[in-house]
Amino acid sequence: MEHHLLHICLQSLKDNNNPPSLQALASLRSLIINPNTSDSTIYSILETLTHSLQLSTNSLTTHHHILKLLTDLASHRTHLSSQILNSIHSSSLLFTESTQIAAESLTSLASFSNSDQNKIGDQLYISLCFASTSASARLRLLRNGERLGIGTHMLFTVFLGFTKDPYPYVRKASLDGLLGLCKSCDLFEDISVTEGCYCRAIELLQDNEHSVRSAAIRVVCEWGQMLIAAKEGNDKIAQSNQVFVQICSMVRDMSVEVRVEAFNALGKIKLVSEDILLQTISKKVLAILKEKNSHGQCTAERFEILASSYAGAFMHGLEDEFHEVRKSACNSLRIHTILYAEFARQSLSLLMDMLNDDSMAVRLEALEALHHMATFDCLNVQEIHMHMFLGSLLDSCDLIRSTARKIFKLVKLPDLNLFRLSIHGLLQNLERYSKDEADVFSVLFFMGRSHGNFAAHIVKEVSQEIEPVLEGQLGLDSARVAAFLVLAISAPLSQNQNGQIIPPRLFSYAVTLLGRISCALSEVVDQDTLLAYLSQCSRSSTLGAEVEVESLLPVVDDVVLTRTKKDVNNPVEVPMLQTGNENSKVQPVTSCELEYLATSIVECQADELDEVMKSVNLILARVRDAWLLVQSRCTNVALRALRDCKRELAMLTSTSLESSGAMAFTLQYLQVMKLFAKIWEHAVWKIRSNETGGLEYLFGKLDMRLRELRYRYIGFSKEEELYVLELIAVACMLRLSKVEISCSPTTMKKLSAIISHIEILNDKGSIEPSNILMDAKQTVHEIESSKAGISCSLFVITKLDDFFTLKQFSLCSRVRHINAELNVPGNDSENPLHFVSGLPVAIPLDITLYNVSSENRFWLTMRMSEESTQFVFLDLNILGGCNEVKKFTFMAPFYRTPKACSFSLWISIGMECALEDCHILKHCGGPRRDLVYLFQEKEVHFVLGSEGVKGFLIFHMPRILIAFSLCFSRSWIHQLIIDLCFYLIIIAMVRA
Amino acid sequence: MAIECLVLGAGQEVGKSCVVVTINGKRIMFDCGMHMGYDDHRRYPDFSLISKSRDFDHSLDCVIITHFHLDHVGALPYFTEVCGYNGPIYMTYPTKALAPLMLEDFRKVLVDRRGEEEQFTSLHISQCMQKVIAIDLKQTLQVDDDLQIRAYYAGHVLGAAMFYAKVGESAMVYTGDYNMTPDRHLGAAQIDRLELDLLITESTYATTIRDSKYAREREFLKAVHECVAGGGKVLIPTFALGRAQELCILLDDYWERMNLKVPIYFSAGLTIQANMYYKILISWTSQKIKETYATRNAFDFKHVHNFDRSLINAPGPCVLFATPGMISGGFSLEVFKQWAPCEMNLITLPGYCVAGTVGHKLMSGKPTKIVLDKDTQIDVRCQIHQLSFSPHTDSKGIMDLARFLSPKNVILVHGEKPKMVSLKERIQSELRIPCYLPANCDTVHIPSTTYVKAHASNAFIRSCLNPNFRFLKRSKEENSDQVLRNTNSTAPLQKKHDIQFGYCCAAQLDNLEETGNRDGALSHSDKCSCLQLLFKELSTYFSGVNIQDLGEHLQVESFQVSVCLKDNCPYRIIDSPRKEAATIFFCCSWSAADEKLAREIISAIERFNLSDNLPCKNSK
Repeated sequence: MEHHLLHICLQSLKDNNNPPSLQALASLRSLIINPNTSDSTIYSILETLTHSLQLSTNSLTTHHHILKLLTDLASHRTHLSSQILNSIHSSSLLFTESTQIAAESLTSLASFSNSDQNKIGDQLYISLCFASTSASARLRLLRNGERLGIGTHMLFTVFLGFTKDPYPYVRKASLDGLLGLCKSCDLFEDISVTEGCYCRAIELLQDNEHSVRSAAIRVVCEWGQMLIAAKEGNDKIAQSNQVFVQICSMVRDMSVEVRVEAFNALGKIKLVSEDILLQTISKKVLAILKEKNSHGQCTAERFEILASSYAGAFMHGLEDEFHEVRKSACNSLRIHTILYAEFARQSLSLLMDMLNDDSMAVRLEALEALHHMATFDCLNVQEIHMHMFLGSLLDSCDLIRSTARKIFKLVKLPDLNLFRLSIHGLLQNLERYSKDEADVFSVLFFMGRSHGNFAAHIVKEVSQEIEPVLEGQLGLDSARVAAFLVLAISAPLSQNQNGQIIPPRLFSYAVTLLGRISCALSEVVDQDTLLAYLSQCSRSSTLGAEVEVESLLPVVDDVVLTRTKKDVNNPVEVPMLQTGNENSKVQPVTSCELEYLATSIVECQADELDEVMKSVNLILARVRDAWLLVQSRCTNVALRALRDCKRELAMLTSTSLESSGAMAFTLQYLQVMKLFAKIWEHAVWKIRSNETGGLEYLFGKLDMRLRELRYRYIGFSKEEELYVLELIAVACMLRLSKVEISCSPTTMKKLSAIISHIEILNDKGSIEPSNILMDAKQTVHEIESSKAGISCSLFVITKLDDFFTLKQFSLCSRVRHINAELNVPGNDSENPLHFVSGLPVAIPLDITLYNVSSENRFWLTMRMSEESTQFVFLDLNILGGCNEVKKFTFMAPFYRTPKACSFSLWISIGMECALEDCHILKHCGGPRRDLVYLFQEKEVHFVLGSEGVKGFLIFHMPRILIAFSLCFSRSWIHQLIIDLCFYLIIIAMVRA
Repeated sequence: MAIECLVLGAGQEVGKSCVVVTINGKRIMFDCGMHMGYDDHRRYPDFSLISKSRDFDHSLDCVIITHFHLDHVGALPYFTEVCGYNGPIYMTYPTKALAPLMLEDFRKVLVDRRGEEEQFTSLHISQCMQKVIAIDLKQTLQVDDDLQIRAYYAGHVLGAAMFYAKVGESAMVYTGDYNMTPDRHLGAAQIDRLELDLLITESTYATTIRDSKYAREREFLKAVHECVAGGGKVLIPTFALGRAQELCILLDDYWERMNLKVPIYFSAGLTIQANMYYKILISWTSQKIKETYATRNAFDFKHVHNFDRSLINAPGPCVLFATPGMISGGFSLEVFKQWAPCEMNLITLPGYCVAGTVGHKLMSGKPTKIVLDKDTQIDVRCQIHQLSFSPHTDSKGIMDLARFLSPKNVILVHGEKPKMVSLKERIQSELRIPCYLPANCDTVHIPSTTYVKAHASNAFIRSCLNPNFRFLKRSKEENSDQVLRNTNSTAPLQKKHDIQFGYCCAAQLDNLEETGNRDGALSHSDKCSCLQLLFKELSTYFSGVNIQDLGEHLQVESFQVSVCLKDNCPYRIIDSPRKEAATIFFCCSWSAADEKLAREIISAIERFNLSDNLPCKNSK
């Protein structure tokens, strides 16, 4: 078939007199795109096409088709692309009218293969560019210039030339090209080249097409920065100013896109004179600047014209109708605020006003800008700002509130009144949103620490409130009092606190709230230090010596200081500033302090984990003791011991995910050991050997538990993994040893798989495999080699007894538990979900997954009875990736609703066991491997909805009636029934 | 051809906007407003200046109304129904919907309250509106074969538009009233970059430069919030349309964010009806409202309730919007009487109040007593807050628009003369655009663009389709090619020189037909390659002479040679005797100094046979 087709097509192509028929071309194409076409066919097609390309007698359309086919060929067989490129290259086509097609083919070919293969000469590129009269061909050539391997200098020339193209898209493409060049090369040492390009871009700022204008802004910005970099000293600032002013002239453009681009660009220019910046936040031409200029070069009139072109640029941006523009303006304003104190002061008012913006994104951006200013210590809040500033503490959006609080942590307030206002605002925040308590406390602590005097004042003022209301009854329940206490205990830590004394009894009050306060301050100070500090301070009063507080201070202060100073969640951008500029007053933030903070937090969490691990390992040690009891035939005592362990484990509480993983593992392990103990009793000691059914049940359960142990935990160390595998191997051997239960090849297979897995693990390290494994390996080997049926007697029970001594096992790595929670909101037997029988029903599920990764495959199983289970695949990629904790709502469809009034479904989530053997399961579209269930099945109740019944009837009735009508031959009956159907359909539609 | 601009109203004053423009013979009347300050004949524009015979149908091609304010539309029913204009009238959809409301309201006030003789009746209004053709934003409407108009968004009020009119090659924009900064409910004016002969712009705030409105919003919100937090009542007297919606969006948004529960009331009346119009005409509002429209209509205020008279003395804080804006009577006065004596309460005043109204009295100093009539005196103890939001653009906005559009002429209307003069100076000095400020009944003549039809040859068009490699770098011209190849040369390469001699010489080119170029015309690549070949030949022939390839031409000293694309070149002495065999012509030019060199080169060129070296031959 293939050859036949090929033959016909090639004949048609070779026929020089007639153009090839479309049909032949089409079948040729089908050969090309078919992946199964043999290579020889492809080569002969290529050869013929190449040949016919060289023919000058071909018409233009034929050329077109051939080039298209070659392009297709290249796209499907990428290894041929360079060859095809060469053939197009060498054909004389490029110098005739079909240049446009040739250009298109070349550029699309270039996109298929890597760049070093498809170099076309500069000469050819140039002639193609100029020969193609169609704008689209030029566009493609310009866009693919780099890919076609054209030299940078040549590209630069071509791009610069085509910025004068009559077509706006070509102009834009060449500007984009210039932008790309500036990033990729530093070839342009000659400044006049850079200048030329920059000037050309400035001309294009006045283009009629907005896309060209915005591309021009990018070029002006980037190439302008190259110019700035090339200059030295005062010239540098002058150049920088010039670029800045050029871009400023674009902020009043009518196109949103251009305006956004302009503000983005304004943020990239780092070094601008203060007077220019000041002018950008005032629409009026500033008088001071006029005076300054009077001894400058240009005339007053000229200066005014110039100044008016950039006057109020940032103001306009902040006032813009489109939030994208406002956001961008806020962002670039942020970059400049930290340079000059006066500019910071003035732009602060503007930024504060932005807190009243109707777009959340803009408000957030403004807060980020304020935070940036606070970090660089140039945030000088005035009373006039306070209304808006405090307003953001009461914002209904959590994010805004927390960002605002972040600023309050860093802010320096000049007077008591502002401090009082801020504290009041924070208390209001606390009052209205009680969930913010921890964060508010920590802000209060920071504020008190940095404004010790003011804090002491405030505490003094409100001391009445803090004092016990009735005899002995503290009003400490109120968050407000707790907040004041936090303020009080923070004040002595301040450096500028002088003379003001916090009554020591306040510290003892604070001790009663230790848990609440230490929780809020967990990032600053741990509970023990805090307690030590508080008790020290409260005791000091009884001794009547304030000195001791001071002596303790350095300890606490040290901790607090290092951790708070640069407590910024987002890494602060440090702009690269030239040292030559005297005006810049930036203290670069060192990152080492930040690092210290991060490690100390991790350490703090690690401490807690260590504690849990310690107790878990104690329990594990006791398991081994229990096993010794099993081996000495005291199964009952052993089981009791195991139960005790379990109880003990339940008493441990975990706070972090990691420690809960370790605990879950231990629990699982205890259950496994319990099962082992029971089976041992049956199989080895043959105490109740008559109950085979019971043993089968126990084996089944053990298998399941072991599988869970193996697959539901991640992060095992090698020893731990080996240990788990060993347990599985023992279980298999136990199973094999019981002739009467099963001596199935499946178990055998499983055992050998486990053994080989263990070997692989051992290969990598030098861990000595235990005796029992060596033995098992040998036995398996023997069985396999003999092939004379499986003689299970080889697993002599006594051997097992001899060899299997439980090793001292301890958990040392951070085991994480793959877990899931599932909830059907609002569903119980009282409030069932409604369904219509025969129609699918959607079940809303709230699912939380822990520690899952994208390799895990999860299935939602919906079991109605033993026979009918429906599987739904939970695609984590679609559901939005995986995290440590992943929460989402999922609408699970259930298709086979029964013809019943009510039914229940048992829903669970299973994970595929990746390493288990593949075996075909009976459910179509279900999982291919065995599943490990992540939790107990949840029951979901359904009831036939009364609405549903009606809907079902109306939905199905017309069909039933029509089927019914077919039984009658009389036409009037037909008519009657069809009329009836119409009514029903109308009713159905009205209801819908 | 010229543009003629006859100003019938709003010339050096604010009120009765009406400008009649004649472009290329087409006559358009922009706006037809009435002056609210006069009661006599000065109220209306002097229509007789348009046509002595009062035959308006023939003397005007169309009437365009920019927005529904009475000083822009007030005289329309009079003009159509009393003066008898029957031609087309264009306005935007919202203007068409809202203008009759305004007109009717005004007529009622005139007749009912002042007892004046009515200038037009309700019937007149409805008949007039029937003649109106509605137009959408950015919709280009062909009024007749020559005249086309287009509306652009102007901000200012709901439905306000700037109008672009074009006849032949002459084009102009009439802005009407516009706002270059957006407010909470309307966007900023938006227009394309157009080639204009004339821009007629309003200049209400010709010298003011306004600061950010955010500061004013902040003060307003702070005042209101502090008042209601203290348990006081806030009275906001507003006009029905525009300001009420803007302030309400501002408050509603703030309430939402701050989670405030204090009720906001709208007094029944025109405001509710106006809100309905805003809801319908959502596409004419600001970007923010358009964006949120999908989820929630911003004019479905969450915290706003209808006000009931019984609530006036209800305890607890509240915010009330009431008409009319200047507390000249009606409901706002009634509430004012009740609330003014309490210190906790707050009255906010609009930016502008007519003298004689309570609002005006409150604005001019803080009175403690207001005497309404001889029986009623009101103690004013409440706080007063003054709002100054204006929907007009400031002088910076006018300058920005003029800079963006860069028209050839600017005419200022709708402003006060002294301020307009200073703006005119600025436009002329900063933008270098001639600017005029005609008084009422003046006519301004402006020369308009005229285009002469010229035939372009194919070769010319082809060369235009490809870009021209020449760059302006500061004052001197420099070629980019050269910049790269010879970066050290600092001398400008293209000097202005006197071309004294020109000659078009022919060279042989035999195989053009073989390359598929049957019509004899040279394609661009051929042209390039020919020039390059010539370059190669010449540089071998004249080794030692500095020949430069500048893309479009070759240059030796002052001698330039380029491929001649003209069919009949004046410098060509002989028509080619061998027309059949392809000949390529090279146009040469040189100055007298290099005469000798030129002759040598030309004779060399004529001897060449370039065909041997064409690249296509090489590939064979």
